[in-house]
Amino acid sequence: MIQLKEIDKYIESRFQRVFILKGIHLTIKEGEFITLMGPSGAGKSTLLNILGLLDEDYEGEYFFGERNIRLMRDRDRSNLHKGEFGYIFQAYHLIDELTVYENIETPLLYRNVSSGERKSIIADLLDRFNMVAKKDLFPAQLSGGQQQLVGIARAIAGKPRVLLADEPTGNLHSAQAKEIMEIFKELHAEGTTIIQATHARENADFGTRLITLVDGRIETDEAIAS
Amino acid sequence: MWKNYLKISFRNLKKRKLYTGINLLGLTIALVSFFVISLYIHHEWSYDRMYSGADRIYKFNQEFVSGGERQLVSSTPSKLVPTLIEEFPEVETGTLVFDLSMFSSVLVDAGEGNQEESRFAFVDENFYKVFDFEILAGQKGSLLNEPNQVVLTEETAKRYFGSAQNAEGKSLKIDGKEYQVTGVMEDFPSNSHLDFDFLASFKTHRHGKNPEWSPSNYYSYVKLRPDADLSAFEAKLPQLVEKHLGAEQKEYGFETAFYTQPVTNIHLGDQTLGSIKPGTDVKYLYIFGIVAILLIAIGIINYVNLATAEATERNKEVGLRKAMGADRSQLFGQFISESMILTIGAAVLSLLIIYLIAPQFIKLGGVPLDLTLLYSVRGMMLLAALVLTTGLLAGMYPSVILSGLEPIKALGNKVKIGGGAWVRKSLVVFQFFVSMGLLIATFVVKSQLEYMQEVNLGYQREHVLALPYHYNMRKSIETVKQEMLRTGSAESIALAADMPIHIQAGYTIFPGGDNQKEFMIKGYSVDKDLVNTIDLTILAGENFAERDLSREAAHDSSMEFPVILNEAALSQLGWSPEQAVGKKVNYGGSTAYVKAVVRDFYFNSLHHKVEPLGIFLDPEQANVLLVRIPAGNPAEHLAILESTWKKMVPDRPFNYKFVDQEYAQLYRSEERVGTIFGLFSGIAILIACMGLFGLVSYVALRRTREIGIRKVLGATQTDVLGVLSADFARLLAISAVLATGFGIWFSGVWLEAFANRTSVGLWPYLSAILVVLLLAMITIGYRSWKVYTLNPSNTLKSD
Repeated sequence: MIQLKEIDKYIESRFQRVFILKGIHLTIKEGEFITLMGPSGAGKSTLLNILGLLDEDYEGEYFFGERNIRLMRDRDRSNLHKGEFGYIFQAYHLIDELTVYENIETPLLYRNVSSGERKSIIADLLDRFNMVAKKDLFPAQLSGGQQQLVGIARAIAGKPRVLLADEPTGNLHSAQAKEIMEIFKELHAEGTTIIQATHARENADFGTRLITLVDGRIETDEAIAS
Repeated sequence: MWKNYLKISFRNLKKRKLYTGINLLGLTIALVSFFVISLYIHHEWSYDRMYSGADRIYKFNQEFVSGGERQLVSSTPSKLVPTLIEEFPEVETGTLVFDLSMFSSVLVDAGEGNQEESRFAFVDENFYKVFDFEILAGQKGSLLNEPNQVVLTEETAKRYFGSAQNAEGKSLKIDGKEYQVTGVMEDFPSNSHLDFDFLASFKTHRHGKNPEWSPSNYYSYVKLRPDADLSAFEAKLPQLVEKHLGAEQKEYGFETAFYTQPVTNIHLGDQTLGSIKPGTDVKYLYIFGIVAILLIAIGIINYVNLATAEATERNKEVGLRKAMGADRSQLFGQFISESMILTIGAAVLSLLIIYLIAPQFIKLGGVPLDLTLLYSVRGMMLLAALVLTTGLLAGMYPSVILSGLEPIKALGNKVKIGGGAWVRKSLVVFQFFVSMGLLIATFVVKSQLEYMQEVNLGYQREHVLALPYHYNMRKSIETVKQEMLRTGSAESIALAADMPIHIQAGYTIFPGGDNQKEFMIKGYSVDKDLVNTIDLTILAGENFAERDLSREAAHDSSMEFPVILNEAALSQLGWSPEQAVGKKVNYGGSTAYVKAVVRDFYFNSLHHKVEPLGIFLDPEQANVLLVRIPAGNPAEHLAILESTWKKMVPDRPFNYKFVDQEYAQLYRSEERVGTIFGLFSGIAILIACMGLFGLVSYVALRRTREIGIRKVLGATQTDVLGVLSADFARLLAISAVLATGFGIWFSGVWLEAFANRTSVGLWPYLSAILVVLLLAMITIGYRSWKVYTLNPSNTLKSD
């Protein structure tokens, strides 16, 4: 589904180029659950951002299915971005001014989903994550784990085929983290392609493939038996 | 989608109260000013457009050419309108208005004693065919067809008879003559150049019965047929002059011509032409319009500056929304909806304020704010357009900046909105440039006004009363004068044609002998006491004496009469004061000799240079008593003079004016400009300072940590002020330089209108700049004090 060829990403400093990613070759098939691991600064987040079309400042080729991202028109790329990807952040990144309900609703609004359909999607999600009672609360009124649940609900509201998660459990204690990973597993079972970056080895066990990045290069790439 | 935009916008505005408050207040004040100015300008533009077929109504002006001097006057002979109706098929109808207040007031008696009334005019029977005012009582077709008929305005009818219906058919004694009230009309609208309380039938007047080609005391109006060709009509006017005035012109050596002026152009047209009501210089309307737009601009700039400054804090939100798939256009929509909500809120607030202040405004400015304009479809559409434009202009730039943030950087929270900094800086410069510029303009206007009030006019205008009297009192006025002098409450009294502040009568003069070039001279008919009463300075020769002949007496007995000339007249004649005394001149067609020369004094507004003036004795032509009262305790002297007057002239009220106050009235329109500039420069400064406060607040917030560290390292409060104000001080300095440039240009242009002007000097510039700088520094100082007082242990922990 996704193919990266010779991806380089660097920062031009005064005297030299500092590479963040170098020569990344990566093929991701639909339905995979990939874990990116590696020390801080290895390029995990950068790679996720490139995969998620949030960063376009790199060299090399990116194919989504048959299509070369570089050659797509802005509008198509924007539609691809909206339609196929969901994002989950370490710091949750909920919009403080919006309630739980409205936070989940936001991506649907940007996809021009009709009001009736929005209601039913959000109702399902709230139900699924046991948050119906909290739908009118603001993020500041929730615990970290609950906030991340909202973050996940928001990410999957648009039914993306690819879910990108950057340290989704980084701010959570282990019980909450486990709960989140169980949800990921469920989503994976339903057919969603998931790519997560993490420091925690135990999270990788929920996935199907583990990629280790060091200094911007792929060091190991192995399948995980479940 | 829009519902969501609105909801989020509301929450955002509610959350950031300082930001919202500053913007809302700034925009509201700007919009209120804008509405007030717009309504005023609209009122002035709407003059005389309410008559049906107003675009076909023309007033006639008349040009005299005599002795090489051209003079355009707004009055015409009484024969003009009847002749036009008779001889020109283009003319549908025409009417004539004789504004009696140019000459004197009238006494009106409805059985309860005399009231003095000055808004009185004679009009002919076609008046309502040209100007279709609403008739509230009476037969429209036959209101003023016969002599001794009068129509009252509604307000006048109420004043005399309680109601319009009551007034019809009643009789009024006006200057001793019996008039029948044949009807009542609506009050003249405030935007009509016609403005009277009484309209009497012109047939009552001698020239109404027998129209003639002289004198030219009447305003003439015609309404052309819809299919008439104006230029063809105008082209035929010289033939009319030739036909009816040709012989006379040859005999007396003058030329005359008639010109049309659209009735809608009277109020804003040539202000040197006399009119029933003082007009408005259209230049001022443009200036006010520009000021209105500048104020809105300052309000908009506040929004732009605060919103972009604040972008730093909203970049996380933008990044998130982009990550979730927001298009740039969707984000743009959200941010623009914030500015729209603010603008609409400000518009609603400002409309409320307008409704509250409109009555006060009428009292203060004398200008009615016609709020019905706001109800009309056109008004609503203009309002909507204004709100939309303002909201777009305010929201455009910040929305572009915010929606253009790159999501990765934005999410990283490291973004510095550096690119917009120069825009923000230039906007701040612009705001303070406008504030300082308006304040400089205010000070320039004020210093000229002050100069005009304090300048030595060359005669005494303090403690001098002008008492107008009716021309049929001329026989007894000398006795009144002597009686007043006897009381001791009058030091000196003179009879004069008018107050010395506007002497208008024009004559010709040339030195004795043939083939001499003649020139125009203003004439002032007075009695022998004028020079003493208003304290003119005689440079050569002697004052008028008891036995000197008046002009009329000299004319009757074919003798020479004495005249006192001013220096300006002498410089035309080419004589020195000593040479002049005793010389013979032809003055207005008869021979006079120069009895004395007086130092130039300003007998007109200071817009004009001192013109040649010839003062001569002709107490019969006088209309006012000029009374100099002793300095100190005017009320006491006035009471004594009034009781003397009451005794001597029981049937006429004691109405007086102070010459110095009337002089001040000459500059009313300039005074108004000064007040408006003052008011709006204050508003501009207020809005700009609020914006500055907001901006400094954001800077302070961003630099709280830095300031905390500095404080730990021992920075004093002054140091903190320095840190926060350094950038702004530089911007204000640039504004000051620009404003000075504007001020130099403005004072050049504005003072050009005055032949006699103050030398402005530096103080308007310095004081304006200092005032604005001081206020700006107080604004910054207050903010930095608040930051300084924060406990660094708290501010440092937070990061």
